[in-house]
Amino acid sequence: MRSIRTRAEPLPAWAWALLATVACSQSVPAPMPAAAADAPPRRGGELHLASFADIRNGLDPVVSPDGLSAGPMHLIFAGLVDYDAEERIVPDLAERWEVADAGRTYRFFLRRGVTMQDGAELTADDVKRSAERALHPTTPDANASTFDDLVGFAAYAAGKADHLEGVVAEDRYVVAFHLAKPDATFPYLMTLPTLRPTCRTAGDRYSDTWLPCGAGPFLLRPGDWKRGVTLRLVRHDAYFRAGLPYLDAVEWSYNMTQLAQRVRFERGELDIVRDLTFADASRFVADPRWSSLGVVEADVRVYGEAMNTRVRPFDDVEIRRAVAAAIDRTQYVLMQPMTTTAMDQALPGVVAGVDASFPHQRYDLAAALEHMRKAGYPYDPATGEGGWPEPIEYLAYDPGLPALTSQILQQDLARIGLRLHIKLVSFAAFLAIQQREGGATMSQGNWTLDYPDPSNVFDTLFASSAIDPSGSLNTAFYSNPALDALLARARVEIDPAARMEMYRQADAIVCDDAPWAFTFGYHAFDLRQPYVRGFVPNAMRPLDATRVWIARPAPGARAPEGAP
Amino acid sequence: MRHLARRLGWSVFVVWAVVSITFAVNDLLPGDPARMMAGAQASPADVARIRSRMGLDEPLAARYGRFWKKLVHLGPSVIDRKTSPAHATCAVVVPLGGSSIHLDFGKSFQRQQAVVDLVGDRLPRTAALALAGMLVQLLVGLGTGILAAARRGSWLDRALVGTSLLGISAPTFLIALCLQFVFARRLGWLPLDGFGSTLADHARCIVLPAFTLGVYGAAYYTRLVRDEMLVLLKQDWVRTARAKGASTARLLLAHGLRNALVPIVTAIGLDVGALLGGAVVTETVFRWPGLGDLSVHAMLDRDGPVILACVVVTSVGIVLANVVVDALYTRLDPRVRSS
Repeated sequence: MRSIRTRAEPLPAWAWALLATVACSQSVPAPMPAAAADAPPRRGGELHLASFADIRNGLDPVVSPDGLSAGPMHLIFAGLVDYDAEERIVPDLAERWEVADAGRTYRFFLRRGVTMQDGAELTADDVKRSAERALHPTTPDANASTFDDLVGFAAYAAGKADHLEGVVAEDRYVVAFHLAKPDATFPYLMTLPTLRPTCRTAGDRYSDTWLPCGAGPFLLRPGDWKRGVTLRLVRHDAYFRAGLPYLDAVEWSYNMTQLAQRVRFERGELDIVRDLTFADASRFVADPRWSSLGVVEADVRVYGEAMNTRVRPFDDVEIRRAVAAAIDRTQYVLMQPMTTTAMDQALPGVVAGVDASFPHQRYDLAAALEHMRKAGYPYDPATGEGGWPEPIEYLAYDPGLPALTSQILQQDLARIGLRLHIKLVSFAAFLAIQQREGGATMSQGNWTLDYPDPSNVFDTLFASSAIDPSGSLNTAFYSNPALDALLARARVEIDPAARMEMYRQADAIVCDDAPWAFTFGYHAFDLRQPYVRGFVPNAMRPLDATRVWIARPAPGARAPEGAP
Repeated sequence: MRHLARRLGWSVFVVWAVVSITFAVNDLLPGDPARMMAGAQASPADVARIRSRMGLDEPLAARYGRFWKKLVHLGPSVIDRKTSPAHATCAVVVPLGGSSIHLDFGKSFQRQQAVVDLVGDRLPRTAALALAGMLVQLLVGLGTGILAAARRGSWLDRALVGTSLLGISAPTFLIALCLQFVFARRLGWLPLDGFGSTLADHARCIVLPAFTLGVYGAAYYTRLVRDEMLVLLKQDWVRTARAKGASTARLLLAHGLRNALVPIVTAIGLDVGALLGGAVVTETVFRWPGLGDLSVHAMLDRDGPVILACVVVTSVGIVLANVVVDALYTRLDPRVRSS
């Protein structure tokens, strides 16, 4: 099958011009010296990373991973399956799996001799115990309902059963997951941290005081996590992939300002930096010594303008189409060109099978004005007369990207006679208002993919079943029976090609009905020192250090300046 | 004694009122702590389950009553958190033989940790930073204030007054960035940020945030001390002391400064409370893991137990500082005692 996976596109000319202008204003130092480019991988060394924020919830796989905990969690806890460098699902702790009962049973065959970080061998009982621990009603698991298709889930989650019927340890190395109905996304669900096997020290029930322990390539020692300050993981010497990891340790520093990160990166005290300001990142990228050291992941988050389809004027599809056609997405990308890509459809680049050639929500001012006319609110840009008579309240949160992009949206929509009144609130208030029925007329929407499958976007954001009066993830409160039926069929379709075709149809429906006007996709941009080798961008495994090694020059060797 | 008892009684009332208002406001504000804990992408079913686990589905009055009931209570002298879930988030504050007084702020919604542990970790760091900042502002402010008063009208006086204006006007983040740029990045004498892991590390790491914190106070104290001293040095009793042969140093330090201390102590009392609440900007820029940083994140995450703990600690700190200041007045100025 032809791969139509999309990566973030190269920067356009205007962006390079902007980069060059910014770059000329201040020079950047030379990269740290590194060994020759063909130096073989070697063991030892430490990788130092940083973030301006802090891990919010914790490192237990059963608590909701945030943007920062996902990386360390993947290193501590290996899963039965995982992603390869192309974000495809591959066996990990399981050496293989099979699908039976027409998609109702997923049977995983564990590798033999996998040693957990507590020294015990991984068995099917550990997988079952970890699953029951994660989905137990007393566990603060924010992903539990994701697994509600497991047989016996309802009884177990309600505390009416002692064990989860749908997870069966068939022998020491075989575990089966039985589903109430076929689910083509189940292998994706197994990539989430939630059901990753935990050491027996975790016990059967969640505890706040447990020291995270799994079967991953790095382990956490007591006292090595100083919350809000640093997290240090050291090599799991008995990791099941022989020879890996190469590094002795990975250490994250948290709550570090962007300025401090830049200074430390320049000194070689940080090895990879992700939180550079746009200006700083531009200077580095524009410098030929650094230009090859930037690493771009695939878009993993989709942004759009959510229009509440139950509230005027967005109960009129023509008005929504007008908005979708009036937005000049290239202006949005100007805000953060290093990390954003203009998007005119629902699926970001990390999803395999995205059809970039399909005519989606394209910027067309004339078409937007025509949609306004069809809606009964013609607008004359020359005189400024016409359009929707009332100001429309637009909800966004601050601090954050929406505080900036909302002003672009305001200008774009003014050209077709829609006047926005921007209301900036805290993120907590934003969620409370946006997810309540009738809470927001129009708001900024975004979704970070939990896994790179179209269902994670369509089922969650646009299916009628995702509407909830007080906590709706379908923030447009959009309901389309034809789309619902299509999504239900796609969910149980096992044939990948047929399934993807259904999602293409779903994409077309959503783009045409325009509950969201899609705007841009978001991806991480990392800059590495030249001595950091083996670092492969992977949107689903952020900052994965499993195969990274440090290639500093040998003592006394002449450093190949700037050579990656 | 009766005065002190009355002040303490009012202090208890003030703390109760502040915490109660915070409790109510935190509940009334839009935003769901369960949603913040579960994440923006959690399903409504999972959010509802987590809300129930956090006890947020109970009425406000029930949660308010439980908060006060748990805040200070009697319990066993030794707490084993694994075997005693009822005291899993407590800390022993006053041992009383067989039992002891416990302090319990509950569990952080976000961090799933006992809040007493969080505050117990952070408060000493904030207190150390506050103390260091206070030392900077006292030493620099008093020194330059006295110097400016002693050299009134000279170029030194004008330079010190002008510089103090800069110190008062400059925003904290700007001072912090300038100090980082000069002393950490250019000269490399001090760490850029962080807290360190040894006592020597802590000492090195605290210098720049302490100076950042102290610049405003030092500038303010410079002007305050100078103005007070200038007024005092014109008094008749100063002229008399000078006529009796008192040296300039004795006039300035023994007579002038002693009398100028009353307004300075007032300012210190207010500053101590503010500094204990956490110097948010300073802690953020210098990655100093104190109460300011904790309380800001708690506010953004709607982490009610942590917010309330920070408010309790801050309000207790402020009222205690003011009680101490009141007591100091009577030591510094006998007229206050007699009145």
